[in-house]
Amino acid sequence: MSSTSNAPTGNNRVRIVVATSVMLTFISYWRAAAIILNDLGSSAFYAGGIAEQAIGKSAPWFVLGVMLFAFAVRAVYVESCSMFVRGGVYRVVKEALGGTLAKLSVSALMFDYILTGPVSGVSAGQYIAGLINDTIAIADAHGWIPYAVHRMFHGTPQVGVNGTAVVFAVAVTLYFWWENIKGIEESSEKALWVMQITTVMVVMLLGWSLFTLLKVGGHLPPFPTLANIHYSDESLGFWKHSKLPHMFGILGLIIGFGHSVLAMSGEESLAQVYRELAHPKLKNLKRTAIVIGVYSFVFTGLVSLLAVILIPDNVRMKVYSDNLIAGLAMNMVGPEVLRLAFRAFVVVVGFLILSGAVNTAIVGSNGVLNRVSEDGVLADWFRRPHKRYGTTYRIINLIVGLQLFTIIVSWGNIYTLGEAYAFGVVWSFVFKTISMLVLRYRYKGVRNWKVPPNLHLFGVEIPIGLASVGMVLLSTAIVNLFTKSVATVSGLIFSIVFFAIFTFSEKVNRRKHAHSLAQMKEQFQLQQAETVERETVGIRAGNILVPVRDYNTLNHLKWVLDRTDTRAQDVVVMSARISQFGTAAYGLTTEQVFSEYEQTLFTRAVAVAELFGKKISLLVVPARDPWSAIAQTAHNLESSAVVAGVSSKITTAEQAFNLGSAWEAIPEPKRQFLLQIVQPNGNVDTFRIGPHTPSMKNEDVVLLHRLWLNVIREPGLENVHHHDILTEALTRFEKDYGASGREDIVKELRLHADAGPMPIRRIADQIPTVQSEPDRSDRDDGHSDDSHRDDLPRDDGSSSPNSSGSQQQS
Amino acid sequence: MLVKILEFMFVAGWAGSAIVLLLTGYEDVGTLLDRKDENSH
Repeated sequence: MSSTSNAPTGNNRVRIVVATSVMLTFISYWRAAAIILNDLGSSAFYAGGIAEQAIGKSAPWFVLGVMLFAFAVRAVYVESCSMFVRGGVYRVVKEALGGTLAKLSVSALMFDYILTGPVSGVSAGQYIAGLINDTIAIADAHGWIPYAVHRMFHGTPQVGVNGTAVVFAVAVTLYFWWENIKGIEESSEKALWVMQITTVMVVMLLGWSLFTLLKVGGHLPPFPTLANIHYSDESLGFWKHSKLPHMFGILGLIIGFGHSVLAMSGEESLAQVYRELAHPKLKNLKRTAIVIGVYSFVFTGLVSLLAVILIPDNVRMKVYSDNLIAGLAMNMVGPEVLRLAFRAFVVVVGFLILSGAVNTAIVGSNGVLNRVSEDGVLADWFRRPHKRYGTTYRIINLIVGLQLFTIIVSWGNIYTLGEAYAFGVVWSFVFKTISMLVLRYRYKGVRNWKVPPNLHLFGVEIPIGLASVGMVLLSTAIVNLFTKSVATVSGLIFSIVFFAIFTFSEKVNRRKHAHSLAQMKEQFQLQQAETVERETVGIRAGNILVPVRDYNTLNHLKWVLDRTDTRAQDVVVMSARISQFGTAAYGLTTEQVFSEYEQTLFTRAVAVAELFGKKISLLVVPARDPWSAIAQTAHNLESSAVVAGVSSKITTAEQAFNLGSAWEAIPEPKRQFLLQIVQPNGNVDTFRIGPHTPSMKNEDVVLLHRLWLNVIREPGLENVHHHDILTEALTRFEKDYGASGREDIVKELRLHADAGPMPIRRIADQIPTVQSEPDRSDRDDGHSDDSHRDDLPRDDGSSSPNSSGSQQQS
Repeated sequence: MLVKILEFMFVAGWAGSAIVLLLTGYEDVGTLLDRKDENSH
């Protein structure tokens, strides 16, 4: 194995191992379904209202039709994911129809993603404003509003619904903008929690609606015939003065279907979460598709239907068009206060799921733009990381800027926003399905599943199912072009502008990349490797892993090099190239992973190594989560220590916690290692990652010793050791905790936890796999100042005295 | 003429999609009943 060092190779270049598969953590299909439903399920809050405003009372049948058809669209996604691990619109269209149409389709997808934010934010604001107004109105009806207030507002005080929605949407968008700039991690845990609460609401809603139906009865909405479709002025767009929509029954159905199609927005997320699904991937993808299909059919479809059945015609569109589920809650049988309380619950759930969708919109757009910029379609300027947080802040700023612009221009008009939203939804599906049809003939790689049915005539396959889905989508998209004038105009302008940006950026990038590639080839020799292995990197076990991110903060690398004899112990400098939600996962090219930024970063790292005259190995790893990347790389490389710099976002204890959690996710067998965090002042915090002997308080050691003294006096127990006492105590604890004594134990432990503010080091001690690495029995207050320890573990994992004594790196 | 083509595409597409729904629905039942390999954590 050749040397991976900054020592010049034969041709004077530094060799860098570039891993080309993203290090991922995998999730169950329930979690995957929760992530998708956070986007897909949120449309239940506004889709029904928008559809009824456009086509009248028969709208729920169309929404149900869309939700049914969504099962077929999902099948298209399952097929694309069975071909490409990241089978989203961009990848599929690029494979089938080439770069130009891929750019066009991704522009439509961006329109969909960017509008998800404003639609969701404004909808949540409408629900909140509606609740405030209705609560005040009820209070006023009971005479609880003082006369002076009444006079001041010239009647019952009310907030402006659209204005409130705009303020709320702007506030939520700005909140998530800041969170994304800081780089919040997406959490399937949070998504699952939101969906659990939403499910409670859905069950209560359906149960109560059923009870109300039994009590007061109701009528189904009129069936979707031409006579029952009542177009609004806005719903015919360019066909407003045409007779066509009134002449053809089936055309009316297409128009109605087109106005309801936004109910299935969010399907693209299925392709985005696929790569993170646990084994068996395809089966779990199908399970995810079933869960989201059934859930959204029940939630979005049935709730829209029940709204028309239970909310009286005179108030449904007049009062509740923008908050249909709230209207449903207020029109159940039961005491008013209970209905109002349930409505408040609906608003809270709406706030959670719709706000989540605002975040998904930013994260998803950021992911898609990162994905295309990996292909050189977007200028590198956009991808330059934030100095402090390392996020692609320019892309985030662009997305959020466009969202804020949309919110303000629409001024909270959910109908306009929803109509425009449908443009992106339906056209990205059209591009995707047509591409899948083309790939049936052009793609020769592995395909584990196909949309049925498929006929074989004279040796030629005819994909009837896929073509059918494509025909429905294409006919709907074309009719939408005529009936949704605002969506057509705004969607086309947006798509053309984005397409132009992509095309221009690509041309500029091609020239620039050719230059920087030549420069890079002079300086670095990139060695591509599918995964990270010790043998690939060419290092020995017991090495030190040094993650680097910002080329301005390489103090920890200096600290390591100052203390390590690299002839005896290898030092590996690693950069985790964070691959965003929506970006590719496998088969990345070295140029995609090793960008201009990594080039600068490693040039600096090599300069530091040269300053010390020591050898380092260089490694780039694409990853979704930096902690998983570090933990998995340390595991794969059999590192004895990870030496990191201080995070600007979290404390050192939290850094240790995150790495410990990532270590937990690695399958057995796995080895422990030390984490040393070097502070700018040269102080070092050391933690042990992996199971370990816990730190014990002095009084506990004394107690253990006293118990041992008592026990050995018992006949036949003279040879008992201290650890036998601990074993017995822990065995009893385990037994009690798993039985009736659990509550008492939890209560007791809470008392310990509530005893007072916990010193930072003790927080780390609580983590099962993380232990600060100080002195053991000499601490009695939970504090331990091991900040001055500057030892590095040697190959055998033990600590070695520092060759320069207690010198600290500053 | 365009309207007629669109109407044909929509109706034929729905007929074909209904078969897709039936076939995938049947397969879905099998997927749901097959609990081995299931990891719901």
